[in-house]
Amino acid sequence: MITLSYFPGCSLTSSSSFYDRSLRRVLSFYGVELRELEDWSCCGAAAAPAMGHDLADVLNARNIAIAERSGLHLLAPCSACYARTRASAVKIAGDRSTRKMVNEALAPMSAKGSVEVRNVIEAFLQYVGVERIAASVAYGINSIRAVPYYGCLLTRIMDVPSSDDVEDPSGMDVLLDALGASVVPWQFKTECCGAGSTVTDSDRTAHLSGRIMAMALKAGANAVVTTCPLCQLNLDLTAHLRTDLPGVPVLFLTEIFELALFGRAEGSRNHLISMAGIEGSVEVLGGMGA
Amino acid sequence: MPRPSFLDEIETRSGVTVSVCYQCCRCTNGCPVAEHMDIVPHRVIGYILSGEREKVVASASPWTCLQCATCSLRCPNGIDVARVFETLRQISAASGLAAKNDVRHFDDLIIDSVERHGRLAEMETIMRYRLSKRQFLKDAAMGLDMLKKGRIGLSSHDIRGRKQLGTIIRRMRGHGDR
Repeated sequence: MITLSYFPGCSLTSSSSFYDRSLRRVLSFYGVELRELEDWSCCGAAAAPAMGHDLADVLNARNIAIAERSGLHLLAPCSACYARTRASAVKIAGDRSTRKMVNEALAPMSAKGSVEVRNVIEAFLQYVGVERIAASVAYGINSIRAVPYYGCLLTRIMDVPSSDDVEDPSGMDVLLDALGASVVPWQFKTECCGAGSTVTDSDRTAHLSGRIMAMALKAGANAVVTTCPLCQLNLDLTAHLRTDLPGVPVLFLTEIFELALFGRAEGSRNHLISMAGIEGSVEVLGGMGA
Repeated sequence: MPRPSFLDEIETRSGVTVSVCYQCCRCTNGCPVAEHMDIVPHRVIGYILSGEREKVVASASPWTCLQCATCSLRCPNGIDVARVFETLRQISAASGLAAKNDVRHFDDLIIDSVERHGRLAEMETIMRYRLSKRQFLKDAAMGLDMLKKGRIGLSSHDIRGRKQLGTIIRRMRGHGDR
């Protein structure tokens, strides 16, 4: 039994609340308990650093201070939350003047920057392990031809060492393979989805997420798999922004876990591009399934 | 040629050593939005090196940038180009030039939300943006589908520490960095 500190972030409490439920469901199956950060606040995403780097560090220091009280490792499923929290933690730990600045602003709260931050891929690899994952599979999902999509912020955090290759990450590939999905090789693992431009300039997202979706189709995939809520939403929105493309469903990695473990994903109705076809193709494995 | 003061300003504010750039263009080559920029990334860096402040500060490129950091990752000299662009956003905003920029406007509304609630209230923030731009029906069909599929969080949550956090944000957001 492992307990992690948990920072769901704004997206997982609103537009991607089904990701929060899926993640909890799967981790609880493996005996990983999530203890939500008490009274956590927004990481500031891309908006805070554009106002001031100090403001961004203070916002993150607040969550870091709360997490450090527990002494537990911190799981941050959203790529923005993960990248911002990690980058600030490294800066607070390594730079005395930043540490002093954030702690003066937040007093009586205090952050050391020592918290260990993990994304969803790292968490599955480290706390559950590939062998246990492979052994737990109850449903055959090799009809799912998945392109693993990592996006920008999972590996590209400046001044912070990445746990995976920055240009060609493979952690999610390994997990998908262990779950029995067919992993389709492609070149767009870390391309940008358009991020927050969907609200201010939806043509930009249509172009960038459309390119990614077109490449997934060209690679012969029938699903894009990601761990970032903004990447998932932008690619899912190609249903509206790129009606010229017959898009494939965009699943959270934890939903692939749900299909392999339980035969169905509880958030399937929350997808803009239907995943019914994929869900229907899942097969009970002889002698092991429900 | 003396070292331009603008180069010092950028290096001090961003903490990034820009002067090691030798204009190889890898930042521009990897940029997913270079085609939409009025000045492409390696040229922005070039103008910083030659001290052409007005040209750089008036450019919309820092706002076109998506902060994907491909440029920073691929720079052979380790220049964090994305961080420089982030700093240029701050300078552009401080100079008043960004007042009408949509990205800055949306960023402001996001930080407003965090200042008041402690978290981003997605629906409220997007509605405020649409109303201020008078985009009443923009992406309405898309919004309706999202609503139907449970992809829009209608309620917002106020954290208990919002007063303390709000005071800190109010104090810091107008002042830039130390």
